[in-house]
Amino acid sequence: MMRNSFGPVALLGTFLAIGTATAQVAPLKLGIFFELTGAASYPAESGRLGVDLAIDEINKSGGIAGRTIQPFIADNQTDPTVAVGEIKRLVLQEKVDAVIGPLVSQDALAALPITTEAKLPELGSTGSELITPQVGPYYFSVLINAESQAKAMIGQAVAALGAKSAAVLSDSGAQAKTFVEALKKEMAARGMKLTGAQEYQYRATDMSPQLLALKRGAPDTLFLFSSTGEDVGNALKGLGELGWKVKVTGNYTVATFAPSAIAIAGADAFKDVTGLSYTAFTYCSPSDLPKPFGDFLTRVRAFQPDRAAKLSLPYAATLYDNVYLLKAAIEGSGGKTDGPTIAAWIEANAKDFKGVLQNLSPSPATHFLVGPDALSAVYPDRILPGGMQQRFGCN
Amino acid sequence: MDDLLIIAVRGIGLGSIYALVGISFNVVFNASGILNFAQGNMLVLGGLFAFLVLPLAPDVTQWMIFLPLAAVALAALMAVQGGITLLPLRSSVEQHSWLITTLAASVIIGAVLLLYQGAVQQSVHSPFANFSLAGTRVPATYAASVLLALFWYVALRLFHTKLLVGLAISAIAQDMDAARAAGIRVRRLQIGAFAISGLVVGSAGFVAAPMMAIANDSGLAYVMNGFVAAVVGGLGSNLGALVGGALVGVVSMYAAFEYGGEFQNAVSLGLLVGVLMLRPQGLFGRPAARRV
Repeated sequence: MMRNSFGPVALLGTFLAIGTATAQVAPLKLGIFFELTGAASYPAESGRLGVDLAIDEINKSGGIAGRTIQPFIADNQTDPTVAVGEIKRLVLQEKVDAVIGPLVSQDALAALPITTEAKLPELGSTGSELITPQVGPYYFSVLINAESQAKAMIGQAVAALGAKSAAVLSDSGAQAKTFVEALKKEMAARGMKLTGAQEYQYRATDMSPQLLALKRGAPDTLFLFSSTGEDVGNALKGLGELGWKVKVTGNYTVATFAPSAIAIAGADAFKDVTGLSYTAFTYCSPSDLPKPFGDFLTRVRAFQPDRAAKLSLPYAATLYDNVYLLKAAIEGSGGKTDGPTIAAWIEANAKDFKGVLQNLSPSPATHFLVGPDALSAVYPDRILPGGMQQRFGCN
Repeated sequence: MDDLLIIAVRGIGLGSIYALVGISFNVVFNASGILNFAQGNMLVLGGLFAFLVLPLAPDVTQWMIFLPLAAVALAALMAVQGGITLLPLRSSVEQHSWLITTLAASVIIGAVLLLYQGAVQQSVHSPFANFSLAGTRVPATYAASVLLALFWYVALRLFHTKLLVGLAISAIAQDMDAARAAGIRVRRLQIGAFAISGLVVGSAGFVAAPMMAIANDSGLAYVMNGFVAAVVGGLGSNLGALVGGALVGVVSMYAAFEYGGEFQNAVSLGLLVGVLMLRPQGLFGRPAARRV
C-alpha cells in the first residue's frame, strides 16, 4: 500500500521539480533588431558579429543570471515602416525580454513607442539627438551621438587646422540632420563661419554638384558626415575628380568604414582626411596597442574568421559591449529585466563597466553611453588589421 | 560658368544611363504595351557582370571582349523574364498582370543579389582614363555611356526601319490585332523585344558600372529615373528617351548644385509632373487614340 500511495506523490514531486527547474532556466529572449538589409546593412552585419560572439561567450559561461540567451532576429530593412512591424513581432509575438538594436535613428524613432510601452530595455547604436530619455526612457545608444561628433570635429578642425570657416556635406538621414543642426550651433558658439551645407542621398555615386556648390564658399575645411563607407568613398572620389584639395574633417564613419571607402576612392584620397573614432580603438605607437580591443580581436577572429575578415571589427565591438552591458545590468539588478530597473542601473553604474569600451558616461539626462571625451581624431588610412587606427598627431 | 559646364557634361553623362534605361523601356513597351519595372535591377546585373569578369585594373581589350557578353547574358535573362511575363496573358495590352510580374522580377533580382553578395556596394574601375574639363577630371565612363546611348538609338532606328523583324515589331507597335491578322507571330516577337531590351540594358550596366552603385537596393533609383526619362521624352520614342534622359540628368544635378542635394530627386519627379501637365504625350510622343 505504501508503495502504491507513494508512487503518485513521487511522480507529482518529480513534475513539480521539473517545472520549477524549467522556470528557473527559462531562456532570456533577446531581440536582435538590426538593419540586416538596406542601406545600413554593412554596419548591421558587423554589429551582428559582435552580438553573436557575446551571446556565444555568455551562454558558454552560464548565461545571464543563470538564463541562457535565446536570440530572435528581426530585420527592419533600414525602413521605419518595416521597423514598426518587426518590433511589434518581437514584443508581442516572440515576447522578448530585451532588445539589442537598432542602428539607424529613423528606425529607433519608429520603434521606440512600442518598446517603451512594453517597458523593455533596449540597447542600440543610433546617433540622433531626437532620441532623448523622454522619448526612450529605457533605450541607450552606444554610438557617439551627433552632438558629440560635432563638438569633437569642430575641436579637431580648430586645433589641428586652425580653421575659421567650414562647409558641411552630409547624407539625408535623421542623424545627419541632427548633426548639421548641432554643428551650426557649435560653430556659431565658436565664431566659425559656415560657408555652405549640402546633402546627398544614400548610395549617390556622383556628388559633384554638391561639392562644386560647397567649393564656391572656399572653406578652410569640409566637414563630412556619412553613414556608410561607400558614400565616404564616393565623396572623396568626387573631391579628387574636381581637384578640390580641401582638408576633410570626417565623422566616425569616415574612420571606421575607411576600408570600404578606400576600395572606391583609393588610399591616396585620404591624404588630407581625418576621421573620428572611439579612443578605445586607436593607438599612437604600434608598440602600444589598446589591450581590451586587442583581446576582442583575438576572440572574434577565433570565433568566426571568415566574417571577421570582412566586417568592421570596431563596430562589432560596440555591439558586443551592448550585450555585456545588458548582462551586467540584469545581474546587477538581481535578475530583473524590466526597462525601468535596467535603465536606472545603467544610469547609475555604467561608468564602472569595463568592456572593450570604457569610461561610459550615461546619466538620467542623456542615454548616450559614450561622450565626447572618449573620442579621438584619427588618420583613417593608417589602419592596422582589425581596424585599429592611429591617432592624429602621432607618427 | 565653368561650374555650369561641369554640371552640364556630368548631367548628360548621368542622364545617358537614364536614357538607356528609357530606351530599353521603350523597346518592350512598343512591342507589348508592357512597362518592365525590372529594368533597374537588370541594369545593376549588367554592372555586376562587369564586377565579376573584369580584374581590378582592366585593360581595354578585356573590356571590349566582355561588353558584348554582358549584353548577350542579359538578353537571355530578359528573354526568359519576357516569356514568364507574357505566358499567362491573352493580351498584354488588355491584361495588366505584367505589372506584378515585372515588379516581382525586380524584387527577386534584388533578393538574389542580397543573398549572393550581401548588402555591400561593389565598385568597378574603368579601363579608360578620365578626361579634363575646366580644370577638373571627368570619368571617361560618362562619355562612353553617351556614345552607347547614341549607338543604341541609331541601331534600333535601323533595326526598326531596315530589317524585316524590326518592321514586324513596328507593326505590332502600331496595331497588334492587325499584325496578328497579317500572320506576324506576335508572342515570339514580343519575347524577342524583351531580349533586345536586355541587350540595351546589359551593355548599359556593363559600360556604366564604374559610376554605378552595384548593390541589391540601387535598382529602384535607376528604374525611377529611367521611367521619368522615357515618359518625359514620350513613351515609345527613343529620341524622346535620349532627350528626356539628358534633361533629367542635367536638371537634377543643377537642382542639387543651386538649391541643395535634397532637391535632386524631387526635381526630376517635378519635371515629370510638369511635362505631363503641359504635354501628356511627352516631348516627342504622339497622342494616342484609345478604344472605348
